[in-house]
Amino acid sequence: MAHEFVMRLITPTGVMFDGPVREVDAVNPIGEFGVLADHVDYITALSPGILTITRPDGARNQFLVSGGLAEVKDGAMTVLADEAETPRVVDEAELAAAMQRAEEALAAISLYDVAYAEAAEDVARLRARIRASEMARNPASS
Amino acid sequence: MATLKAIRRRISSVKSTQQITRAMKLVAAARLRRAQEALLAARPYHEALRRVASSTLFAERAALGAPEGASPVSLILVIASDRGLCGGYNANLIRKAEEEARRIRGAGLEPAFFAVGRKAADHFKRVKAPLAGESINNVPRLATFALARALATRALTDFRSGKIREAGMVYSQFRSALSQRPVYERLLPIVAPEADETDAAAVDRYLVEPSRTELMPVVLRRYVEASIFHALLEGEASEHGARMTAMDSATNNASEMIESLTLEMNRARQATITKELMDIVGGAEALRG
Repeated sequence: MAHEFVMRLITPTGVMFDGPVREVDAVNPIGEFGVLADHVDYITALSPGILTITRPDGARNQFLVSGGLAEVKDGAMTVLADEAETPRVVDEAELAAAMQRAEEALAAISLYDVAYAEAAEDVARLRARIRASEMARNPASS
Repeated sequence: MATLKAIRRRISSVKSTQQITRAMKLVAAARLRRAQEALLAARPYHEALRRVASSTLFAERAALGAPEGASPVSLILVIASDRGLCGGYNANLIRKAEEEARRIRGAGLEPAFFAVGRKAADHFKRVKAPLAGESINNVPRLATFALARALATRALTDFRSGKIREAGMVYSQFRSALSQRPVYERLLPIVAPEADETDAAAVDRYLVEPSRTELMPVVLRRYVEASIFHALLEGEASEHGARMTAMDSATNNASEMIESLTLEMNRARQATITKELMDIVGGAEALRG
């Protein structure tokens, strides 16, 4: 099939995925986006969320990414994730508690503080983590 | 001449020291291998990030300077180790850092050290150098991305708020287990690599979302984080390399010492025997007389 392309998912600690794919879907600050073969050269920021890789045989790999950058160049895609892991079921009560702490921390910071963006990102990362856990628990909903 | 008993005691003490240095050498060798693997595993990320940075960040050179009115302070991250017994590793790093501090003073800026690793923190406290902060981790793995992120956040926050005008780091470049070289690398304001692939036409070919200006801080942070992470990885590999070499020569020195002490011991024993024989012979002669 001509409608596949090479995709690499890289984190600072190693290469998580490297191979031919049919489609890649992820989240950026504007919304969800998908990449198919012959995509225009493209650079975007990645938001914390689920990255879905559809392999040529239709099988899927999913990763929880905590943010990063994605680049398409000459038809090949490179995703630079700060962290990437396979979604798994985690203690959601604990996550919810962490989420509440993060939201309280965010509320306590002035909007003009340089640390605000950092705290907002913590909340977004936790939200993605909760979503990933829900997906791992109930695969049909993804 | 030392008594036979004293020499025996010294030999056994050197032997147990040698056991420790030999074990430390083996541990350092294993950790070095792991650190080298981590260094290798980080390379693809680095290369790809550099490419993305050159099509976004470095394409906008005008925006890369220090904020106006920043204090004339230059922050130096000194990436040393928490533990000693690694030869001249920490001493070389500290010397390099102080050399850079003199250079910075010469350029009219005030240096401030940020010590990573207890050995550097202790030294700067002892000589009462301006210490902006320290990070003592006491963990088997120094080079974690979380630490790199924390250090990057600190440097970027200070830079953005105008507390510092520039930031750099002194770390040890790993060349081989035998050779590590301390280097200084400037972090902020960011230095674009040699204008190799940053040709404007290639930059404009990209579709950039959300927009180039919105993307720049995202790339900048990753770039600083990755640079620090790289320095931590190099430092970690260097530390284990230096320790391995130091412990290897300590083990060899111990062997030599044991050898010469054994020789001395045998000589002492022989002397005792000879002396006793002389006494016996002398006694017998006296009886016969």
